[in-house]
Amino acid sequence: MRRMNRLFLAALIGAASLHACAADVIVSAAASLSNSFNDIGKLYEAKHPGDKIVANFAASDVLLKQIEQGAPADVFASADEQTMDRAAQSNAIDKSTRKDFAANTLVLIVGANAKPPAKLDDIAGGDYTHIAIGNPDSVPAGRYAKEALMSAKLWDKIQPQIVPAQNVRQALDYVARGEAQAGFVYATDAETQKDKVHVAMTVPTSTPVRYPIAVTAKSQHAAAAKAFVDFVNSAEGQAVLKKYGFSAP
Amino acid sequence: MRIAVDIEKTLRDASREFHLRMRFESDADVTVLYGESGAGKSLTMLAIAGLLRPDKGSIAVSDRMLFDSAHRIDVRARHRRIGLVFQDYALFPHLTVVQNIAFAQNRGWFNRGSVDADARAVMASMQLDALADAYPSDLSGGQRQRVALARALASRPQLLLLDEPFSALDSELRGRLRDELIQTQRSAGIPMIVITHNADDVAAFGGKVVRVRDGRVAD
Amino acid sequence: MLSDAIVPLLLTLKVASLATLLASIVGIALGKLLGRRRTFTRDVAESLLTLPLVLPPTVLGYYLLVVLGQNGVIGTWLTSWFGISLIFTWQGAVVAAAVAAFPLILRAARASFSDVDAQLENAARSLGASETEVFFRVTLPLAWRGILAGALLAFARAMGEFGATLMVAGSLPGRTQTLSLAIYDAVMAGDDARAASMVIISLITAVVLLIVAAQLLQRRRHA
Repeated sequence: MRRMNRLFLAALIGAASLHACAADVIVSAAASLSNSFNDIGKLYEAKHPGDKIVANFAASDVLLKQIEQGAPADVFASADEQTMDRAAQSNAIDKSTRKDFAANTLVLIVGANAKPPAKLDDIAGGDYTHIAIGNPDSVPAGRYAKEALMSAKLWDKIQPQIVPAQNVRQALDYVARGEAQAGFVYATDAETQKDKVHVAMTVPTSTPVRYPIAVTAKSQHAAAAKAFVDFVNSAEGQAVLKKYGFSAP
Repeated sequence: MRIAVDIEKTLRDASREFHLRMRFESDADVTVLYGESGAGKSLTMLAIAGLLRPDKGSIAVSDRMLFDSAHRIDVRARHRRIGLVFQDYALFPHLTVVQNIAFAQNRGWFNRGSVDADARAVMASMQLDALADAYPSDLSGGQRQRVALARALASRPQLLLLDEPFSALDSELRGRLRDELIQTQRSAGIPMIVITHNADDVAAFGGKVVRVRDGRVAD
Repeated sequence: MLSDAIVPLLLTLKVASLATLLASIVGIALGKLLGRRRTFTRDVAESLLTLPLVLPPTVLGYYLLVVLGQNGVIGTWLTSWFGISLIFTWQGAVVAAAVAAFPLILRAARASFSDVDAQLENAARSLGASETEVFFRVTLPLAWRGILAGALLAFARAMGEFGATLMVAGSLPGRTQTLSLAIYDAVMAGDDARAASMVIISLITAVVLLIVAAQLLQRRRHA
């Protein structure tokens, strides 16, 4: 009887410790990574049973703000280096884990049934009552767009037409819904709604659109977080990103 | 002036049914509906005034058909030219005495206090001119009753209906106001139907007495 | 610093006032229409009309966006008949806040109207008043306090409206960026100082409103 009890106890403890290794990994990722990171998350969970990937998508600046204020994110993936630099400065991330994992292009989109503008300057014209751009104060896509528009000397001219969006996906939605006649999003975002929006042109940006990822400094599941980051950079993770239109960093 | 009432109405609430079946005619200056409370007198009054629709029947005042279910006639209350004095007077609490009395004479969406000469004379005779700017809540029971009567008279009705006009008053005041009312009726020349459960009132008013019991005219 | 708050504050006051006015007109009219009688159909109608109060603001905002937008029933009508669109405009913000706040006035109005003694309304009818006159001269004056209480709640709700406004009107600085949206954007942009000054302005405004409300409801015209 006693041996049975001891074996039973051992089995219990064994099972408990196995479960203790399982983690809820919270991944705060830029809005443009919604589809790809959802897929990557599922693949990761298949490979690491017991681990659960909880995705949190929003504009990169917003995510950083949350982390700085103590949100228990384990991984941070941003849509530009600038935000990750700020994260490093405020010691929100483990700098040794920082790595670029993807690249993207900025595009100008219009509604599927609209005649696309021949050149960028055309958007200053009367047909474009509302132009959706991520709010540059909090959205990297907005900053890339602002940068491009400033060098094209259009930024001031189109101010009255600008509708600031909370994140790049909202900018996409405004154009898809027809409330905005044009918008600046990533090529990968345009893909997700290709029946409703058309890419009018690629918008070259002086700062290349690159996505860095890192484990947060205060992560409670650092090992699992690192494993996820490595998975994103692995062949499998990269394949998913490529499928959605991201290019290599 | 002839009043001819022949109506039926069934009222239901959660527990019981009440059948009103009133048929009477009167040529008198004062007609008294006399009976205990709950007999159906107030309901009859509301029906005559156009505030309660009978299930069937007819109501005629001075050869004018006010209600006739057979011919689908139902004149709206506001067109019946019938003045009412309710048991608890129903004075508009947010209006002054003069605004209450002037209510019928002033059309439109706003409440004003201008009355014509006749109404002013009535007010004077009832000692209400000093109270013109008072509110109903400032008045005594007797004063309120007078205001209610003046208000009904100011609408120049062809018939006046009074529901237990003295029930809220003590007996001394009651006697005095009853005499006043009889005087007013005579000088204004407007026929009245007075509802009461008080035998003294019946004796004082005279006229035609219609006894009401259980929703019917009792003989 | 405080000057940052002036533009959003004035815009918010403008939007909230107009929204409350719009909500009051509709709420009072519907409250009168629903009337005293509590039939099953009327109660169901009132519940449906109260939906905006219980729906999450973003859900409400989404439905408003769908209905008022380019492809929406009302949106296409507005564009084809008047050539206007409510999306991304302060007028859209007024509509969003009005829809969110009007159930507060509807319920207050219906309840206040049924509290008015029916006998007084009957007295008015017997004195020759039409239904409209009865409403404006007797019912409304006697019900106004209850309706005002509802309207003040509605104004507070309209002042704080965020989710539905964001969906329908967006957060366009100077045009549709109300105080709540401005605070949100400031926080998101990491400008805590700006956010803090606007929060203080909001608080002061709320306190002033409460004091005004208390005064209004206390003043008695007659005992």
